[in-house]
Amino acid sequence: GHYCLDINVLIIVFTEMRDKLRKWREDNHRNSEQIVDVGEELINEHASKLGDDIWIIYEQVMIAALDCSRDDLAWTCLQELKKQFPGSQRVKRLAGMRLEALEKYEDASKQYDSILQDDPTNTAARKRKISILKAQGKSAEAIRELNEYLEQFVGDQEAWHELSELYINEHDYGKAAFCLEELMMTNPHNHLYCEQYAEVKYTQGGLENLELSRKYFAQALKLNNGNMRALFGLYMSASHIAASPKVNATVKKANVKYAAWATNQINRAYQVTKTNQLPVEELLLRSS
Amino acid sequence: MSWRRWLAMGEVELSCLAYVKMYLHACLFPRCSVNGLLLSSSPAGGAVCVTDCVPLLHTHLPLAPITQLALTQVDVWCAQTQQRIVGYYQANACVSDSSPTPCALKIADKIAEQCNNAVLLMIDGGKMSPDYRVPPIVMYERKDTRWTLKDKHTIMLRQWEETRDIASQLLDSGDHSLLVDFDSHLDDITRDWTNQKLNAKIAELASPANGNV
Repeated sequence: GHYCLDINVLIIVFTEMRDKLRKWREDNHRNSEQIVDVGEELINEHASKLGDDIWIIYEQVMIAALDCSRDDLAWTCLQELKKQFPGSQRVKRLAGMRLEALEKYEDASKQYDSILQDDPTNTAARKRKISILKAQGKSAEAIRELNEYLEQFVGDQEAWHELSELYINEHDYGKAAFCLEELMMTNPHNHLYCEQYAEVKYTQGGLENLELSRKYFAQALKLNNGNMRALFGLYMSASHIAASPKVNATVKKANVKYAAWATNQINRAYQVTKTNQLPVEELLLRSS
Repeated sequence: MSWRRWLAMGEVELSCLAYVKMYLHACLFPRCSVNGLLLSSSPAGGAVCVTDCVPLLHTHLPLAPITQLALTQVDVWCAQTQQRIVGYYQANACVSDSSPTPCALKIADKIAEQCNNAVLLMIDGGKMSPDYRVPPIVMYERKDTRWTLKDKHTIMLRQWEETRDIASQLLDSGDHSLLVDFDSHLDDITRDWTNQKLNAKIAELASPANGNV
């Protein structure tokens, strides 16, 4: 009677929780707080039912726990993984991540060095060393290491994007643009790369770069017409080009049209939401 | 009323609302640099009273288009709501470094063009633990054309402990995720970058009924 009902409810709850974690892993979610909540309960209450799933759950929960400064939970997960997989490179990397989270950067770096000694091709350890440099504010070194890494692993998207971000923070827009060009070449359907490239070009300034930025904002919109940054970017770049004394009448006319189209689209988008509705035309007057 | 009269020239008052939102902004994106604008609803002249803030970005701070867009949108909103942009805040991703970056200086310069006692505020990530005794902020003011460190004693935060506790409460309850910055607004334009909901929550926590202020 009552007792059986509890068990069934428990099983449903447990299954939902386990599936949630799986989905988050697959979607690469960084909802660390949610993962910690669900994962901690799963580990504490239902460990025996998880079978071999438990090890990947420990890993997932550990990473999320580090994000939430829950070193107690991270430590617990790490110990279980160490017991089950002694000497594992993957577990060593997790230990390194924990040291990073505790800002023990020298120790973390040594941890990754020990991985690289046994396995010099371990790209994960190499990349973690680079993120340590970033965390320590050693941008120039991080950039240098990342460039070396990319000479060997030229197809690593994440690394190219990481490098573009570093260059942007160093205000080296030319090199940031180069990284984004690489990414656009290998990912022609990715609207985010187009839009970021357009932002970099806009920032570099000058009529040529402005025209390039407009083209790439437009391209980003073609790939994803919901990209609001691209829509505003199109409006701003086209308006600035149209207002430039250096353009001929044809170019001016075309850009006025682009800007008008963008205005229309922006107004339509905000009509639906009703939040933060501001007259778009007022924006350009003050944005120079 | 009388508090403002006591502030001498050159002093800056930071409201609970402004401080809490800035702090939550930094907490919401711990691995990113974040920035935002400081607003005042007081008239120009005399001491600077920062009464509110608008969180702006957590990605690509140095890039121009979205920053320009945000500055103009906030400008328009301020005109409608009788507020002025009086300063800029930033928290660096690298917590050991709380000095203003070139883009911080650039935006602060722009603000100073319209507001001659504009302030530049850096959040010191290294000092952001929940029970810290003093506000983890460093302020700069413009002397001639350079931004120089402001004497700590001229930054006023009324009832610091209560303010700090309100921020902690919101973190604990998870309500900090209510905060919308301009970046988040562009990701989903149904989210309100003026943060009316969060403002109401903060006001509720700060009200005399809760034993505060």
